[in-house]
Amino acid sequence: MNALTSSGNGGPVLSAQHLTIQSKQKKILDDLSLDFPAASLTAVVGPSGCGKTTFIRSLNRMVELTPGLSIRGSVIYLGQDIYDPSVNPVMVRRRIGMVFQRPTVFPTTVFENAAFGLRLVHEDIETIEKSVEEALQRSGLWEEVKDDLDRPALSLSGGQQQRLCIARALAIKPRVLLLDEPTSALDPAATQRVEATMQRLKEDFVLVLVTHNVGQAARVSDKVAFLHSGHLIEVGPTADILERPREALTQQFITGRFQ
Amino acid sequence: MASASVAAPAETGKDLLFDASARTRWRLGFDRVAGWLLPVLFLVAIVPILDLVYYIASQALPTLSWAVLTNTNPHDPYALGVPIISTVYVMLWATAVAVALGLFGGVATAEFLSERAAGWMRMSANLLVGTPSVVIGYFGYFALVLGLGWGYSFIAGATTLAFFMTPYIFRVTDLAYSSIPRPIREAALGSGARPYQYILKVAAPIALPQILNGVFLAVAIGVGETAPIVLTSTHSVLVPQTLYSPVSFLTAEIWLNFSQPPGQALALAFQAAFVVLVVVVALNIVVRIISARYQKRLEGLYQ
Repeated sequence: MNALTSSGNGGPVLSAQHLTIQSKQKKILDDLSLDFPAASLTAVVGPSGCGKTTFIRSLNRMVELTPGLSIRGSVIYLGQDIYDPSVNPVMVRRRIGMVFQRPTVFPTTVFENAAFGLRLVHEDIETIEKSVEEALQRSGLWEEVKDDLDRPALSLSGGQQQRLCIARALAIKPRVLLLDEPTSALDPAATQRVEATMQRLKEDFVLVLVTHNVGQAARVSDKVAFLHSGHLIEVGPTADILERPREALTQQFITGRFQ
Repeated sequence: MASASVAAPAETGKDLLFDASARTRWRLGFDRVAGWLLPVLFLVAIVPILDLVYYIASQALPTLSWAVLTNTNPHDPYALGVPIISTVYVMLWATAVAVALGLFGGVATAEFLSERAAGWMRMSANLLVGTPSVVIGYFGYFALVLGLGWGYSFIAGATTLAFFMTPYIFRVTDLAYSSIPRPIREAALGSGARPYQYILKVAAPIALPQILNGVFLAVAIGVGETAPIVLTSTHSVLVPQTLYSPVSFLTAEIWLNFSQPPGQALALAFQAAFVVLVVVVALNIVVRIISARYQKRLEGLYQ
């Protein structure tokens, strides 16, 4: 595992260490450790209920918005534990962005959606316009919306809305982007475009993708982590995990013989 | 089975349409009766209302004139100028206080309080909405008129009316904020918004039309109330000059004059009732318009 996590410039950008998350009824994550090196896309796969969504939400403290969960362990971002009491979760989320299962555009214009995070930090309008264009280009939406940035975001198609959400997350220039099943509500054509966007983004960002779709993991990821019942069963380069899994559970999941 | 399936649907459809079993005939018969019954029930509901409107209008309109509505001469007891202006003042104060209390309470309940505390807040609001206005009036009398020593006054009356209106605005604010899709909230917080930035920049534009609706409805309900005012501020022939002046109110004029023998005083009661009726209908129309626009603007958000 160490060979996988070392990146060109030293240690991993983001690293979960001995993460245990419990609700009153059960352990959702059990002593989970996983590294995310720079310029890579890690796919977290597993059957529904395995804790993969809780895991990705723990990487930028979104999990704290769900009441009644106790969190132990740490998540190290560039050498600092984001769960340290001195760290403000708002600042964490500005460095570690997130995209959700369904498009979550706000009922305003395309431009204002992409500019949302920048407005929060009171950037001047030139900076905002520049960053919005850059983010929309990165998310692959620019060509489709550049002529009418003032149209209502809700009038875009589902796939366009999802790429707008990616642009919104990118506009504040995070280092890490968390994608929680970003294509689960999209049709195949829109899925393909979002996957192409992810391919491009992994050059510059640390991407973490939660998906239940093994095919998607095979197409876009460098590294696959397989979760089952809150345990990390296996992690390794995508080809190794998908073609030569060491664990029986992984084998069963990949071949679709699971339940 | 497979070969018969091409012809089967047409025949099945025919069977269903001409099925003469007793149950089917009973259902079709009930359907027909219900189709007649609903318009009849609608008429039963609407006729008394129309009758009331007609009765008030027929009593008020023959003597109602622009002069009656605008005459503010304190020596003319049969004019509505002073009550109308006073009512506007009272409603402005009451609405301002009720919006402040209801808005803060509603947002706090929807966004910040624990489930348990929010449950208590909601239950209290529901109880207050179910409380007869005369009880609120007595509360205002004991707490404000006597307790704070405000006396029978504009401020005591308008504040008591605000207490009466607050739970309506509270409930609609709480509902508007609570019903914003959870993913929208998480997306805002996930983009690095502080909770107050989410509340003001993302949620407010979504919730505001709904809240505005609630405010207009609360004003419509408040302007039609009598007890909170008559128990806390006496009748006055003058527009209030200070916060502690006595004040008159449109519904209070109805209450004061309705027991009078036929004549100018009784006519005044009907005129005041007509004015209140027009205001309430107008406010409800405004609410309808806002609702319609709101529906259109947010199409697609709640998929």
